[in-house]
Amino acid sequence: MSDPAPEAALTPPKWGTKEMLPLPGRYNSAVRELAAQRFAATGVAWKDVVFDRQYDLFSLADAQAVEQEALDSGYRFDFSATVSLESEPEKYKRPEKVASAFADGAVTDGRRQVGVGDNVIRKTASVTGPVALISKIEQVMGFLADGVPDGTIAVIDDSGGTLTAPIIEGFAGVICLGGSVRSHLGILAREYDVPTLMNCTIDTLVDGDVVEIEVTAAPPAADAYETGNTGHARIWKIEG
Amino acid sequence: MADLSYKSLLETNNYLRQLSDTTYWLCITRTVQESKLFPMNPYMLLSYLNTFYRLPTQLREIDAATPAEELGDRAREVSLKVDTVNAAWGMPAFYLIGREMLMNWGLLGPADAVEDVVDVLDFSRRFNLAYHRNDGHMTNKEFGDRSQFLPERTLQVFESDLHGVVPGDRLHTAATKLVAQLSQYAFLAHCECRIGLHNSGPYNFGDNRQLIVRDFFELTEGDYPWLDGIATQLPFGNLTIPIVFKDTNFNLMDDWASFEAEPSYDASNIAAVGMYTSDALTDGYQPVGMENAEKLAETMESYREILNAATADLWKRIAGWSREQMIDAGALVYSSVAKDFAHLAGTYRQDDWFQLDDRVQRFKPLMNDEYGRDDLGEMVGLLGFPHQKTSEYTMARYSGLNQNMLTGVPYSVLTDDDFAPTAGSSLSGSSSLDPKTGLWTTSAGRLELDEYNRRARGFTPSAQAPEFRYLDEEWVKRHYTSDRANALYELAQRDSRTLQGKGAGLLRADLQGNG
Repeated sequence: MSDPAPEAALTPPKWGTKEMLPLPGRYNSAVRELAAQRFAATGVAWKDVVFDRQYDLFSLADAQAVEQEALDSGYRFDFSATVSLESEPEKYKRPEKVASAFADGAVTDGRRQVGVGDNVIRKTASVTGPVALISKIEQVMGFLADGVPDGTIAVIDDSGGTLTAPIIEGFAGVICLGGSVRSHLGILAREYDVPTLMNCTIDTLVDGDVVEIEVTAAPPAADAYETGNTGHARIWKIEG
Repeated sequence: MADLSYKSLLETNNYLRQLSDTTYWLCITRTVQESKLFPMNPYMLLSYLNTFYRLPTQLREIDAATPAEELGDRAREVSLKVDTVNAAWGMPAFYLIGREMLMNWGLLGPADAVEDVVDVLDFSRRFNLAYHRNDGHMTNKEFGDRSQFLPERTLQVFESDLHGVVPGDRLHTAATKLVAQLSQYAFLAHCECRIGLHNSGPYNFGDNRQLIVRDFFELTEGDYPWLDGIATQLPFGNLTIPIVFKDTNFNLMDDWASFEAEPSYDASNIAAVGMYTSDALTDGYQPVGMENAEKLAETMESYREILNAATADLWKRIAGWSREQMIDAGALVYSSVAKDFAHLAGTYRQDDWFQLDDRVQRFKPLMNDEYGRDDLGEMVGLLGFPHQKTSEYTMARYSGLNQNMLTGVPYSVLTDDDFAPTAGSSLSGSSSLDPKTGLWTTSAGRLELDEYNRRARGFTPSAQAPEFRYLDEEWVKRHYTSDRANALYELAQRDSRTLQGKGAGLLRADLQGNG
């Protein structure tokens, strides 16, 4: 016994809304509309289509067409892994120089505050050293071959643990622009006892700038990421 | 195989709703995970789809060879990769999240694949109930974010045999460095995800001390083809490092095996450590380098050296991969979280677990980095898929909003008939990765797969023999003076340096260990 109404898989849900983010909204709507049209064209019961004729509902060529339509409209995707940008440069937005995210402070005692972050491991003294901005496999290859210079504080925008996997232990400190103290990089920093600030907001830094990271600050409380009570460890640039 | 009855559907939906709430909580207590090395979010979405299409078929074969509750008994006695994060949470959650994706695309209705849903959750429930038998809960969340599956007889051996350490001594240094190296390597070997790591506990060790058990899996040649030739000097695939902390209260051990402590984790509070291995062929935990503190330190130092070199070797291999190879590897890491059930049952086949199904391959062009990130965010964080909304009067457990991450099975399947009951049992697929050519590393040496399966099929751990299987601590409480109880405890004590043959009557005051 079936209801005469359209099949449950294809009826818009009673309380539903559309996806909130643009690309899922665009792609998912496209797939839904295509699946509905394809099913209607079969003229048979849903149960005979859903798996037995699933490629009639949606195929590899359909997925390629959905992507092509987005690209033809001028849409370009954000990238996360550098391999994506390198292998399909025509599909991704080129990385733009990120504007300074932190309103840096006045110079006091030869230091200017240039950022804040969440301290992973509380130390008895701050850590000072030159920064190295790391985002590419080639840079890690270079450090693997030549070693990490003593005192280097890595600036990493990736909260994962694999990009810098073979060299993390060589850093005197880490400034991570994403994630939380529970991220993979936060976990590894704790295990390796590498002074680390996660979830950082910083002013523009360039390779060789000497910074001091306030790893004497208290780590975020257990509910900090739910309450927004984060960013208590300070980062200073040593001027002159 | 599925029992489609009102009772089975009630149980299915109850478990599904618990997973929905718990998974939402786990997701919102983290940020979206991205990596500059791996296209993580695209591979995660593909892995969920692969799990949806393949897992029911895989589990039915395993369940027929070794029932899920027996697999739970096996996993409870040792540390295996079918653990809290892989099997207890990941396996059912990945399956159901794949179902959500297909439902959102209009390629699946909530009643479709109902037999698969019932079977997967029934298997998972039976496994979890047996795995957690000693604490009596289904999940860590249900137990207030605790995980205490080990029996007293095992914990007594740990307490008595672990070696005491103080910060700065050779073993303390060796242990903390090895744990760091293992963590690093496990993230890399698992394509940036955490399923090669596992933590359980805490267990009360008296005198303001607590034990957590830290596990590291898939360390050398085994199922992952990219580990062929990597870390081959390491004699074992899995290592377990029990660590006793002083003055530290582990107040959270969640279903992703993350822990929180008050005060926070500090290696200087480590009071005792040990090292063991276990796999589908071990009769309980097997001590590794545990003869004395110097031997253990030496063993840990040598393993750390091997893994340090292996991290560089593996990183270079992976850094040379194409985007598709990275995506396939990551997707297969996630969609194979239940593969060690097949090893326990002796039914493992490489292509079953390390191919991306043809039905999944068709979705690859959608999986650019942005779609992967945002679609995952919609599905598990914002719960923004249209069909994830519920009646406007409802208030979800953690968000307070009218939404559920996972969609229930409509009871109308008991009377209506326009649904397809199963995704089918035919598996075909492919992978862009180099095929596996190496051996499988086990506690019985490096084996060819057929030999590994043959040994697994013929092996039953002593504690799972019919005369012992149902002797839990409610029974021990009143029978600890019996020969049967002594025999059960002596199984765990066989390889103990300090407790061999001591039997079932011991209390903490009787132990002379350093732990």
